[in-house]
Amino acid sequence: MATSGRTARPRVAVAKFASCDGCQLTILDLEDQLLEIVSRFDIVEFPEATSRRSPGPYDIVFVEGSISAPEHLDAIKELRKQARVLVTIGACATAGGIQALRNWADHDAYRAAVYTHPEWIESLATATPASEHVKVDAELRGCPIDPGQLLELLTAVLVGRRPQIRDEAVCRECKRKGIVCLVVAGGQACMGPVTTSGCNALCPTYDRGCFGCFGPRAGANARSWSNGLLKSGRPPEEVWRLFAGFTGYAEPFRTVITELGKTKG
Amino acid sequence: MITSPALSQAAAARQWFLAREDLGALVEAIRGTGRRVIGPAVRDGAIVYDEIQTAADLPSGWRDVQTAGSYRLERGADARVFGYSVGPTTWKRFTFPPNLPIATAHKASFGFEQPAPEVPPVAFLGVRACEIAALAIQDRVFLGGQFTDEDFRARRAAAFIVAVQCTNSSSTCFCTSMGTGPEVRTGYDILLTEIDEGFVVQAGSPGGAAIVAKLPTRRPSHAEAGAAVDRVESVRTQMGEPLPMAGIGDRLKLQLDNPRWAQVADRCVECGNCTMSCPTCFCTSVIEASDMDGKSSITERQWDTCFDVAFAKVAGGDFRARPRDRYRQWLTHKFSTWWDQFGSSGCVGCGRCITWCPVQIDVREELAAIAPPIAPVEHPVAVEPVAASPGSYSIARLASARPETEDTTTLSLTDLDPAFLEGRPGQFVMIALPAFPAVPISISRFRANAIDLTIRAVGQTSTALVNLHPGAKVGLRGPLGTFWPIQEAYGRHAVVVAGGVGLSPLHGLVDALVANHDRFESVSLFYGSRTPEDQLFRDDLAAWTASKAIDVVVTVDRAGPEWKGRVGVVTNLFDMISWDCTKVTAFVVGPERMMQASVQGLISKGVPTDRIHVSMERHMECGIGLCGHCQMAGRFVCKDGPVFRLNDLGDMFNREGI
Repeated sequence: MATSGRTARPRVAVAKFASCDGCQLTILDLEDQLLEIVSRFDIVEFPEATSRRSPGPYDIVFVEGSISAPEHLDAIKELRKQARVLVTIGACATAGGIQALRNWADHDAYRAAVYTHPEWIESLATATPASEHVKVDAELRGCPIDPGQLLELLTAVLVGRRPQIRDEAVCRECKRKGIVCLVVAGGQACMGPVTTSGCNALCPTYDRGCFGCFGPRAGANARSWSNGLLKSGRPPEEVWRLFAGFTGYAEPFRTVITELGKTKG
Repeated sequence: MITSPALSQAAAARQWFLAREDLGALVEAIRGTGRRVIGPAVRDGAIVYDEIQTAADLPSGWRDVQTAGSYRLERGADARVFGYSVGPTTWKRFTFPPNLPIATAHKASFGFEQPAPEVPPVAFLGVRACEIAALAIQDRVFLGGQFTDEDFRARRAAAFIVAVQCTNSSSTCFCTSMGTGPEVRTGYDILLTEIDEGFVVQAGSPGGAAIVAKLPTRRPSHAEAGAAVDRVESVRTQMGEPLPMAGIGDRLKLQLDNPRWAQVADRCVECGNCTMSCPTCFCTSVIEASDMDGKSSITERQWDTCFDVAFAKVAGGDFRARPRDRYRQWLTHKFSTWWDQFGSSGCVGCGRCITWCPVQIDVREELAAIAPPIAPVEHPVAVEPVAASPGSYSIARLASARPETEDTTTLSLTDLDPAFLEGRPGQFVMIALPAFPAVPISISRFRANAIDLTIRAVGQTSTALVNLHPGAKVGLRGPLGTFWPIQEAYGRHAVVVAGGVGLSPLHGLVDALVANHDRFESVSLFYGSRTPEDQLFRDDLAAWTASKAIDVVVTVDRAGPEWKGRVGVVTNLFDMISWDCTKVTAFVVGPERMMQASVQGLISKGVPTDRIHVSMERHMECGIGLCGHCQMAGRFVCKDGPVFRLNDLGDMFNREGI
């Protein structure tokens, strides 16, 4: 990516919408690389890390969180105007996050069930990814994002090439690592075949089926996978729950959830 | 360590017996030579290949139960150490690592460096026959060509092979079909066959013999040596009949347009587990990992898969954009194009792609459905032909010659051998005159004491034939070939589609349909010819129409002023079909292009492909499948045809140059 000069560090902002801040913390958790990062990037806006504020324009804006409240609608558009490159980070910003499950539910009823004074809560009926509102230049997936992918993105910006972030099934990472398939050998439910990689098969490494937090990979055959899970004897509720996780609002998971929602009633 | 071919047969045949409790001595002896031992161990509910320190690490008493998409371990009835079949790990993990740094680059010096392979000596313990075959395939892929993989060469050379005969197979195993097992015959340093009390041991190399010499062995008893042979043989029996793999490479190449590719791709989730679990799949991609300042970078090679959505992508698009393209790429590479590139199948029949497929796709089923074996067409001939061998002829006499069109004449032949009268519609005869070569002619009509041959004067024999006068003698051989399976249209809509002189081999069929019309839901004839003057059997067409037993619809491509009927190609007539086309049985003859268009039209209306019958024309000389002229891929048109069920022709029907 071109910067304003050879010595000038890219101006970086980190912004958040509806989210848990876990992805921002992933940036701060890069302890071994932080000094190098701040020596190469001018992080001017990062509320999670500093109270110092700085207006745009920015070279790179990292956006965490989904668009869930009325004020988010303008804010994301304003950020886009200020950003040369807008990168969404995490399941909330890239897919709507776990809060996007309300997109299938009665928003008012949820609000009334959770808050004593629901009338004080200003929120949208849906939680949506930033890409539904503005153009997004790059995504880092996951809940939270993978520090390795974040570093690769930052490195690629500095070197001036495309980040080498693969879009392949989690199964491939399992196979390269030599993890015995939890589905075939363990009868576990797992979203690996339809979920994009990047976590280095984190959950399967600890004998837990993939939660799908990195979201659907390109060309994911979600319908066949949900059929396969149903065929293996899992009730539709369970398969629905498996797809309706952190990234359920992203297609093609969204379609599967909607269809399963009809059958499970 | 590659087995020395120089090892004498006698030494290889020498056998020892090693008690099961002394297996640890083998592990120790190998480790004593400075090798790490990689072998089977129970981990995460499976038997994987991992580092083995002592014999206690080995999976004594464990058995695996494998079916498509399922793998479970259970305790066996005995203490056999190698009583399982193959698990999720393949030896390629150690000869061809999943992640391998292959280059480093430094910006300052502009230097690219290739790391020299550093491969400590290792022993593979428990290598099965299919896995030895897979290693041999890797040898051909990586070392057999102009460019070689030196990392693989080093890893392969560093590996000492302790092979184990299979004494059990899984439902997913099919090595006997691929000719790779179950018995290990070559490619090992030491070979173990597990029997009740221990192992029958053979050495396959001087290195293997040196290790065996250190073990507490004795000569096996006759019973022990016999038991070892029986155990392997029982695995062969356990696997059942081998699959019909003969010609699978060619069979697949004829099925590139088979609709099944799309069907299996609908099930496939493209996880790549099949290829990653395959002991021979070798697709990789490289990724560059640079440090943040871009001063140096590492190029890492990773296992990849042709199922990856971006695997065949270039800047302008994707060469295998659809899942069906990718599934076809994989299966045809394994079983067909691998032969072209490496002189063998890419499949060893280990069955891992079946077991580890999470949506239970079984390549054996896909192969059987996509490229079934070309079986001889089973059409019993109605009657034993007379004068079958070329050169012998039965003599018949010309009763009458009736011109049909300007160049086509129907000859009625009488004084026949009775066999000709018992022929069936769709069959043909070879007819010859002295000094004129025999030609194949369909029997267009069966009469009480005569058969009709409708002949277009296009060559020397046919011209001579149509110029014969009543009373002339001709030589006949036949009746030959397959006939129209009229009974397959019982209770259905019988549709006859004829183009030009193609009505001739259909004439006898139409006669039979008309005579038995009440056995069919309906009977129709769609007949197209170039011009009204090119129509055959005009009197018969009129008589059939008048009979009300059949709907006759005719059309011509070009009409003169006299013509009051339909104009246009015969496929246009299909628009008149109002019935449920799944209940149609169709019989189609005409020029090949016309047949292809007609078949396409019928299929698009919903006529099942196994309910379409066609009659093919090819150059014939002998008429009995001996001269080779009429071959159409796996068929001889003269004896397997000329009448074919469309399904039996598969892709051949639409291919040019077959």
